[in-house]
Amino acid sequence: MILLLILAVPLVAGAMSLAVNRRAAMEKINLSAFALVLALAGILVARVLRDGSVSVWSGFLAADSLSALVVLLTAVVALACSVYAIGYFRDDERDHIAANVRKYYALTPLFVFAMLMVAVANNLGVMWVATEATTLTSVFLIAFYGRATSLEAAWKYTMIGGVGLSMALFGTILTYYAARNVPGADTLAGLSWSVLAKNAPQLDNTTMKFAFILILLGYGTKAGIAPMHTWKPDAYSEAPVPAAAMLAAGVLNCALYALIRFHVLAVRSIGPQFGSQLLIFFGLLSIGVAVPFVLVQKSFRRILAYSSIDQGGIMILGLGFGGPFGALGMLLHMTFHSVTKPLLFFCVGNVQQRLKTDLFQQAKGGLIDSMPVAGSILLMAMLAVTGTPPFSMFQSEFTILRAGFTGGHIVPAALCVGFLAAIFAGFLVHFSGLVLGAGPEADRSASGATESAQAEGSVVRVGQTASAQAEGSVVRVEQNESAQETPCPWKTSSLIGLASIVVILAFWLPRPLFELIRNAARIASGEP
Amino acid sequence: MYFFQDPQFGDRMITLMAAFVLVLQIAMVGQRWLITNIRVFAAQSFLLAGIANTIAYFNGAPHLYAAAFLTLALKAVLLPIVLERLVRKIDIGQEIAPLINVPVSLLIAGGLTTVGYLVAQSLHRPEETASPASLGHNTLAVAVSLFLIGFYMMISRRKALMQVLALLSLENGLFLAAISLTYGVPLIVELGILFDLVVAVMVLGILLYRIQETFDSMDVSKLSRLRG
Repeated sequence: MILLLILAVPLVAGAMSLAVNRRAAMEKINLSAFALVLALAGILVARVLRDGSVSVWSGFLAADSLSALVVLLTAVVALACSVYAIGYFRDDERDHIAANVRKYYALTPLFVFAMLMVAVANNLGVMWVATEATTLTSVFLIAFYGRATSLEAAWKYTMIGGVGLSMALFGTILTYYAARNVPGADTLAGLSWSVLAKNAPQLDNTTMKFAFILILLGYGTKAGIAPMHTWKPDAYSEAPVPAAAMLAAGVLNCALYALIRFHVLAVRSIGPQFGSQLLIFFGLLSIGVAVPFVLVQKSFRRILAYSSIDQGGIMILGLGFGGPFGALGMLLHMTFHSVTKPLLFFCVGNVQQRLKTDLFQQAKGGLIDSMPVAGSILLMAMLAVTGTPPFSMFQSEFTILRAGFTGGHIVPAALCVGFLAAIFAGFLVHFSGLVLGAGPEADRSASGATESAQAEGSVVRVGQTASAQAEGSVVRVEQNESAQETPCPWKTSSLIGLASIVVILAFWLPRPLFELIRNAARIASGEP
Repeated sequence: MYFFQDPQFGDRMITLMAAFVLVLQIAMVGQRWLITNIRVFAAQSFLLAGIANTIAYFNGAPHLYAAAFLTLALKAVLLPIVLERLVRKIDIGQEIAPLINVPVSLLIAGGLTTVGYLVAQSLHRPEETASPASLGHNTLAVAVSLFLIGFYMMISRRKALMQVLALLSLENGLFLAAISLTYGVPLIVELGILFDLVVAVMVLGILLYRIQETFDSMDVSKLSRLRG
């Protein structure tokens, strides 16, 4: 019953947002719907902790600890994004950016519905359908601004996602075929995860190997694992910030969740060795691929996508390391990432809306003076996301590495440490420059001088400097003007709310939540 | 009409239709006109519905009738009509500009078919499928080839609409794989897949329309501003 309710709320909210005309009404509908979803998710978690699992329609929809965790994280992300979105789109309107907000407010609940469906569908086929639905409902969120670049991003997202998911569908069909010896497999039960997991030793091994490779490539594409990650920077930088945050923290979880489900089947039928090697390879590749792009990144929107590729890689690596700590580390990382990454997106969104650029070079620095709240939280979120102690993502990365070293995967774990250090360095250089570096007033004479002008002779430079000075002062005047505006309460409250959750999680993980994660990790590790 | 009861006959019919499906897929690789390609896809879907029907009849798998009917209605009729209207509406130059020329493409398609056969042979367990009209590994091989050639078309074509067609034919391969391996996935899953497919084509159609308006072209190699 609770499962049906949790799915029905966002569907109804989506339909209602289509029906109303006023922006304020749409905002209220979204906000209250996601608050309700979060409350229901809390009840679901409580019931799962008490009973072990919840199901309806004779097991068609079912939630165990793993599903409940993903539902909870999705609900938290959705609520945080809906609070931030209100302020974000109001600011957009103030800046006269033509935008059809109804599209956002009607599609987002459907998008969330699809994500929740992935988590609670017990049938692997239905899970695939829901995953494809997350793509289809988010295409127009990426193409939201209708710029040439956003259309390009949306096209790549749909096509790469479509090809990836077709591989996942092939893998699902092969799993269904592998289960032909399981009793009752020619009916809907042949794709039911709980039935398959119970009878996993009877699955055909050769077919399961084929299936797992296809599933890894397929859902890996959806999670943005290298080398199928190319849609990610485009989609994350073109979508409106709240939608991008939902892609980074919601869809990533759902795709990894689907991967875990199949991983469990593979571990129980063909043993942990086969899948673990593949997972370690792709996980390490993703982390490695992110390194150079983070180091030379020019845009502070795109760098977040590479961070997300890196984080996805770490989670896959954790799953691959296995053992008692691997899956636990992965799920802890998923939990902490889901609250930290949206926070980083929100801060960066504030900066971008204020400065009207997403390039480090044009943004200069000195955010700590011009926007003290967003600037300082940005710095904190950046440190948290790169796994700096005392923040919680350090603990989860440490758990994963510990799983690697104790499990005998010395080389991959050592490489991972090196890559993470490089990524940390890249982030630190870029963002500390942005937040703490000299502001536009300090290096006024340099502002506006283009690279080509610097390459040319000094005569040109004098002229440039003069005009640059004029430009610089204009910029300063604009900034002073905007500095006098009161910061939007919606944006600030979502920032401070999430930031306090990140800080609290760094020092205290609530007992029930840890209990939930530990139970989920037991499922994910594939132990019977 | 004794042969309607003869499983051998059903077996041969299925192999024949699967062969035609493969021929049509390779024809799509060699074909240069967009409208013709859409019709080839429609014909391919029609044959797939035929295969599903034949299996449903000879093997007594009634849920496949529904899948066959849906395939016929959606993939052989509705989607081709939608796509053709889209082509006429945005009035694009009808010729496809492949990145790799046709003879080489055909050779590659032939090579991929061989790969399909190898994969199918390693997956197929003949001793376990002792049903009346047992699907030989031929059908599975065709399905895998369809999938691989669909992939190849995705990366070798520049016209955005052609990529959509490639994605659809790839999905046809999956449908064939499902019916040849397990007599189709459960109906509710099949319904979900087809629903997603139709929505995907609508979404891609709208996106294409806006790309055409913005770029004044459907050449996806022009979609290259986002880098790094």
